[in-house]
Amino acid sequence: MATAIPRVEETREMLKNQKIVIAGVGETEQGKIPNKSSFQFLSEASKIAIEDAGIKKTDVDGVITAFSLVENTFMHCTTFADYFGMNPRFFSSVAIGGATAVWMVAEAAMAIAAGQAEVVLCVRGDNTLSGISSSGMVALIREMCHAEFEFPYGLTTPGGYALIAQRYMDEYGATSEHLAAVSVSARKHAALKENAMHQGPLSIEDVINSREIASPLHKYDCSIISDGGAAFIITTEAKAKELEIENPLAYLHGMGQGYSHQYLTSLENLDQIYNAVNRSGQKAFQTAGVGPSDVDVAFLYDCFTITVLLELEGLGFVGKGEGGPFALEGRMEIGSDLPVNTHGGLLSQAHLGAMHHVIEATLQLRGAAGPRQVDGAELALVHGNGGIVSAHSTVLLGKEALS
Amino acid sequence: MSEYKKPLPEFRPETKPYWEATKNHELKLPRSKTNNKFFFYPRAVSPYDDMSQDIEWVNASGRGKVWTYSIHNMGPTKAYKGDPPYVVALVELDEGVKMMTNIVDCDPQDVKIGMEVEVVFDDITEDVTLPKFKPVG
Repeated sequence: MATAIPRVEETREMLKNQKIVIAGVGETEQGKIPNKSSFQFLSEASKIAIEDAGIKKTDVDGVITAFSLVENTFMHCTTFADYFGMNPRFFSSVAIGGATAVWMVAEAAMAIAAGQAEVVLCVRGDNTLSGISSSGMVALIREMCHAEFEFPYGLTTPGGYALIAQRYMDEYGATSEHLAAVSVSARKHAALKENAMHQGPLSIEDVINSREIASPLHKYDCSIISDGGAAFIITTEAKAKELEIENPLAYLHGMGQGYSHQYLTSLENLDQIYNAVNRSGQKAFQTAGVGPSDVDVAFLYDCFTITVLLELEGLGFVGKGEGGPFALEGRMEIGSDLPVNTHGGLLSQAHLGAMHHVIEATLQLRGAAGPRQVDGAELALVHGNGGIVSAHSTVLLGKEALS
Repeated sequence: MSEYKKPLPEFRPETKPYWEATKNHELKLPRSKTNNKFFFYPRAVSPYDDMSQDIEWVNASGRGKVWTYSIHNMGPTKAYKGDPPYVVALVELDEGVKMMTNIVDCDPQDVKIGMEVEVVFDDITEDVTLPKFKPVG
C-alpha cells in the first residue's frame, strides 16, 4: 500500500453522499464512415445516450466534451453546445489525450458535487479515419513529442511507444509474443461486440508477422483509427430517481490521476511511469476502500499493446514484468482471472480514447453486456493514459452504491 | 545543399545558445547555477525545485549510452520517404540527462541498449545543425 494520499476521506464522503452514477450510454456505429462530420458524431451519440437514459434533452444541464483531431476549435464544449442546441449551466472541455474519457466521469462528479449541474452529458466523437488530414496526423505526433528537441529526429506516434516497449523488454525479458497476446485477447472480445471494427480471428503469429512499424511494435500492436461517437450521462442516484431513469445505475466509487512526464526526454526510468499509474489507481482504490483483487473486470488503455502491460503492473494486478506471461496465458480473457477490455478496446473495436471503455464498464455492471457479460461483475476499473504513457486517470465503478 | 523538407526544430528564444553551439559543432547543456544540476531539454527556468533562471551553458562530453531505441520503418511525414529504416533513440549522456536523437553511421540492427555512443553533427540546413550519435570506436 502506498503512503497516505491526501483527501481520500473527503473524496469518499463526497461519493457516499452524492451517489454519483452513470445513468445513460450511447454508441454510434464505429468504423470507416465517410460523409459524417465530427460534430454530427457527437450529436448522434448524445441523442442515443439521452434516449438510453429515457430523459429529455432539456433535462441535461451540463456538458463535457473533449477535443477533435479534425475540427480546429479551442472552445470545443461550447462549439458542440451550439451545434447540438443546448443551454448548459456547466460546460468544460477535457483535453488530456487518452486520459480524457475517464476524467470526464470525475469532472462531471466534481461539478455535480459542487452544485454546478445535475445531469452532465459527456460526449466525444470524431471522423478521425475519414476526415483527418496529413497535417492533422503530423499535429498529433507534434503534440506528443517536443517540437524543438524531439520531433526533428523523425519520431512517430508508434515510435514513442516503441521506445518504451524496447526498454521494457530489455529490463523484464518480455517478448514480442507477450505483447502480441494483448492484441489476441482484444480480438477475441471484439468478435462478440456488435459494432467492433475488427472481428476476424487473430493469432500471436499474425501479430508478430505483421509489418514492423517501429521496432519492437508491429502493425497489430497498434490501435485502429476509426470514425464514430460515444456518450454517457452522469447524474446522482436521487436525480435519476426523480427523472424516473429505469436503467440499472453504475456508481462511482473512486477516482484519481497520476502524472509522469509529457516528453520522453524527461523520463528518468520506467518506474516513473509505474509510479504515475499507481498513484492514479491508488487514489481510486483507497477512496473506494478496495484493492486490485476486488476488481471483477478491468478496462485498460490499449492504444498500443505495451500500455496494457504497464497498466496491469502499475495498478498492482500483477507484479512488474509479469503482465506479459499473464496475457500469454489468456488470463485477460472473459471467463478467466481478470477479463480486460471485454469490448475489444482500441486494438480491435474502435478508437475514441477510453469512451467505449467507460461505456462497456457500465454495460457490464448493468448485466447488459450480452455474450461478453462477465459473471458477477460488481466492480469495474477503467484506466486512461494520455500522451506517451504520461498522463493517467482511473475510476472505479460499482453495481451498488459506495457504502 | 538541397532543400530540407523534414520538420525543423521550432526554436524558442531561450534555446538560442544551444543551437548556436551545435552550429559550431559543439554540444552545450544547460545547468542551473543555483544547484549545479544539468537538465534537458533546454528551457529558461530550471525544472528542479530551485526554479532558477540563472542558467549556464556547459560544454558536454558528447558521450553517452543508448537508453532505448526504435528502428523506424515508417516516418512521420512524406518528407521521410526513402529514409527508413532509421533509428530514433533516447541517449543517456555522461552528464546524466537524456536526449532524443538518431543513431547514425551504423547498421540499425546493430544498435543495442547500453551501447556507447558519441555525438556527431548533421548540418541539415545552412542555419541548423542537429546533434546525432554514432557508436564509439
